[in-house]
Amino acid sequence: MQLFNLALGLLLLMTLGGGIWRALRGPSAADRMLSVQVFGTAAVAVLLLLAQAFGQAALRDVALAFALLAAVTAVAFVRRAWAEEVDCDPE
Amino acid sequence: MILSDYVAAVLLLVGVFFFLAGTVGLVRFPDVYTRLHALTKSDNVGLGFVVMGLAVEAESWFVVGKLLLIWMLVLLAGASVAHLIARGATQRGVRMWTD
Amino acid sequence: MAMWQSVLRRVLLFAITWWILVEGEVRSWWFGVPVVLVAATASLVLVSPTTLVWFELARFVPFFLVRSFAGGVDVAWRALHPGMPIEPHMIEYPTRLRPGLPLVFLANTVSLLPGTLSVALNTGFLNVHVLSGRRELQSELESLEDRVAALFGITLPVPSRGVI
Repeated sequence: MQLFNLALGLLLLMTLGGGIWRALRGPSAADRMLSVQVFGTAAVAVLLLLAQAFGQAALRDVALAFALLAAVTAVAFVRRAWAEEVDCDPE
Repeated sequence: MILSDYVAAVLLLVGVFFFLAGTVGLVRFPDVYTRLHALTKSDNVGLGFVVMGLAVEAESWFVVGKLLLIWMLVLLAGASVAHLIARGATQRGVRMWTD
Repeated sequence: MAMWQSVLRRVLLFAITWWILVEGEVRSWWFGVPVVLVAATASLVLVSPTTLVWFELARFVPFFLVRSFAGGVDVAWRALHPGMPIEPHMIEYPTRLRPGLPLVFLANTVSLLPGTLSVALNTGFLNVHVLSGRRELQSELESLEDRVAALFGITLPVPSRGVI
């Protein structure tokens, strides 16, 4: 199972390639932010697969922290860096 | 390999398939809204299957609990972030693609 | 009375979360108890006490799992299909839920179900981006809103098919 998990992890890394392509290509800022989300979810999955393949329970906690951080980063980015250019934000 | 290995392997493969499909959508779909559809839905289902596959072979119930916790967190974050990005895109006047 | 119940529920919720996070390590409660209390207090300040009907939750979870799986299959099929069968359009759904946690919950759930993505949450309206034209989306969203309302112990008015 260890090799199998690693192979799947590598396959998931390929999805990051798609994310990077989209980040470079855009065209809008929103499209670039999508890739942040891909990285977040795929990275969590990869970390969980590695945690089991290598019996490293700590990697699961890294995945948890990653999930939290990805969410916070994306929300902060949308609300701050991006939304500031929009005048009205009724909240 | 025992039965649970096969079950786990199938679940993990299905999970990875959904991730790949989501990425295909991210690359192929024509605008930010349709890409959001692809990402939020297929990545969440993908992670759900990966989590299930790993849970089958988890060494303790705590690990199962933690895996579920992570999945719920990603689910919540994914849906909220998708909404924020979509809302930001409309506020900025990003046009949606139609035929 | 109700306040105490919700305090207790939050404490229990965070205690279980902590217990899972530390994988049952008993010694960690020295650190865990204060953390759980602080987290419970913070959560009560940030999210005011909410009713949650447990029986409805037990009904909602399988519904959600099945439908979001269908959502994943639907979008994966459209992405992988050579002809990419999508006809996106936007609809405006008049919401009956009042602003607050249940409405946010509805918006998030909409995004995970087949073919719908919540785009903007305005007073009285939820703008939904639809991936492909089909089905009675209106009645589907209504029944979803009913489920969410039931989950939070809210009674909704019967949808008015008004003249607009």
